[in-house]
Amino acid sequence: MDRREEDKIIEGITSQEYKEGFVTDIRQDFIPKGLNEDIIRTISTLKQEPDWLLEFRLDAFRKWQKMKMPTWGHLNLPVIDFQDIIYYAAPKNDSERPKEIDPKLEETFEKLGIPVREREALAGVVAVDAVFDSVSVATTFRASLAEKGIIFCSFSEAVKEHPDLVRKYLASVVPVGDNFYAALNSAVFSDGSFCYIPKGVKCPMDLSSYFRINAAGTGQFERTLIVAEEGSSLSYMEGCTAPMRDENQLHAAVVEIVVEKDADVRYSTVQNWYPGDAQGRGGILNLVTKRGICKGNGAHLSWTQVETGSAITWKYPSTILKGDYSTSEFYSVAVTNNYQQADTGTKMIHIGRGTKSRIVSKGISAGHSENSYRGLVRMNPGAIGARNYSQCDSLLIGSKCGAHTFPDIQSLNPTAIVEHEATTSKISDEQLFYCNQRGLDAEDAVGLIVNGYAHEVLSRLPMEFAVEATKLLQVSLEGSIG
Amino acid sequence: MDSNSSNPAGAAAELRPYSAAASPELCRRAKREWTRPGSGGRPAVVLVESSRPENFVVGAGERLDVTFVVLPGISAEIPVTVDITGPGATVDLKGLYLSSGKDQVTFNIAMNHHAGGSISRQLFNGLASGEAKCSFFGKIIVAQDAQKTEAYQENHNIVLSDEALVNTKPQLEIYADDVKCSHGATVGKLNEDERFYMRSRGIPEEEAKVLQMISFVAPVIAGLDDEILTTRIENAIRSLVGNNNV
Repeated sequence: MDRREEDKIIEGITSQEYKEGFVTDIRQDFIPKGLNEDIIRTISTLKQEPDWLLEFRLDAFRKWQKMKMPTWGHLNLPVIDFQDIIYYAAPKNDSERPKEIDPKLEETFEKLGIPVREREALAGVVAVDAVFDSVSVATTFRASLAEKGIIFCSFSEAVKEHPDLVRKYLASVVPVGDNFYAALNSAVFSDGSFCYIPKGVKCPMDLSSYFRINAAGTGQFERTLIVAEEGSSLSYMEGCTAPMRDENQLHAAVVEIVVEKDADVRYSTVQNWYPGDAQGRGGILNLVTKRGICKGNGAHLSWTQVETGSAITWKYPSTILKGDYSTSEFYSVAVTNNYQQADTGTKMIHIGRGTKSRIVSKGISAGHSENSYRGLVRMNPGAIGARNYSQCDSLLIGSKCGAHTFPDIQSLNPTAIVEHEATTSKISDEQLFYCNQRGLDAEDAVGLIVNGYAHEVLSRLPMEFAVEATKLLQVSLEGSIG
Repeated sequence: MDSNSSNPAGAAAELRPYSAAASPELCRRAKREWTRPGSGGRPAVVLVESSRPENFVVGAGERLDVTFVVLPGISAEIPVTVDITGPGATVDLKGLYLSSGKDQVTFNIAMNHHAGGSISRQLFNGLASGEAKCSFFGKIIVAQDAQKTEAYQENHNIVLSDEALVNTKPQLEIYADDVKCSHGATVGKLNEDERFYMRSRGIPEEEAKVLQMISFVAPVIAGLDDEILTTRIENAIRSLVGNNNV
């Protein structure tokens, strides 16, 4: 392929527009900018929270004040002024929420393709909790889930209706002082989803959260807590979008998952926050902490993520394999374009005997972006016969991007086996030539190769998400031949 | 390999302790061994005795081949930096560490591809027994315009005892797109099935372990062509088996 065509195609990718970049014009409640104990008290009062939760927030805030922003990521983070962020924004609605959904809001979710009103074809199989800025707007299918004893509601409601459960599990996996952003989230988290699956119950449908940042100058700090009791199973999906703005917006979420004996949790994410424009202006700073614990024997937790958005991604969904013979997987596709930066990966901490984990990470970088995999595999002395296999592949498109791999393997047990392999390459001329001579044009050939490259991860997604993820991948990498 | 075999005096002279080798000299020697006609392309050997950084600059068309050997009883931190500054260069960097007791061995490799069109290959294998702590930090950096680079890195470890600890951090930082880079790292134990096979063929347990370990280190020491050193390595492996009752 000649130089000119190549340039044209590279320009093609870099000029892709972000289609979720609209702003919904609705009236919103804000609290003043800034962060101090009064702001935290205000958030807590607005949400009519019990005293123990306010104490929890204040404790976290005091810890956070003593902490420093981590700088070890392979990222060029802009200076974040934490006093210049609005920590709470809610759609204004005089009548009680969430009985009625604002038509404008519904339109937004409609545009995003989220079936809040349970009427789309998909609605039959997916129960949705949608979070708009700081407030959870609607949770569908609650009644039919409740029949089985499943609790699926917004975090605020869970605090009111199931305080014992929330109190028992909150911060049990990600301690308040775990890291800078987790402490910040613990202090100011606004809403999120809570999910509880009782013993032996197989959740009959996929549960889903949809997060959207709408208001300018705000940050989003949602909190997700999932508890799967003995022998239960759950598939959980999470999606995110935001409007196009020239400023950076902060998103610092915490996800905690507790998996008891023989329970099975699959957690899937399609992250498509606004990535900033072609010159690297604006975009979401996605700095999240996700962690699960396989508490009981034979527990299973699987993470699947497709990361296409955000100006900066700093995210390491991790699993603590505490129960004997518990297993965990991490499947990830991370696409970066223009000036996006991603530093993402996982941690697998093997504590129990016979524990197994598997890591498959596929990075695709284009434009001027930087894409890093960072992972920790630790075999503790008690992890007899534990096993890990990691594979990290990077695909480079264009000569100005970077792809990096930073694994860390720590073995304290002679019977544990750890394997890691990583490759970095571009789509080879031979592969393209082969496809060309079989009658595929360059664009189709690249689509085919990239999809094949990411197939192992995409095939792990629930069906509805897989369709969306494949589309996202095609949009961001259409005709991208290096 | 027989420890009592006679050695040609010349081979012993070739073996220079690590701490006595000045960096530029080692660099020159490593390159000369390869360019000298009839040398058979033997790698220069560094027998590590203490902590000491080593820096190599490899220009266009040059060939560097160095093997580091760390025997039991040595604790050392060995930072090795290789700067590839021209096209057509070939670098082979190998290492072997046999650690026991309270040995602490750390390799810290920086393979910098400043210019494209060159190949680097790394292979580091280690055995950790006793309460040894072995760390391998290896970084490959491919600069933005260093196209057509090929860089490979492998690090394999076997943990022989409950108290031994292995930490490996292979890293890739790639800023060019037309490259072939890979790294692989493993931490594991000696394969029981292999040993069962050997025992069923009448090979004693300890001897079977020695054979397994020799085959594990073989890819690193294959090209050394130095009987004294290979004998010392074999003896060291036997001492690991004797000490630990693995």
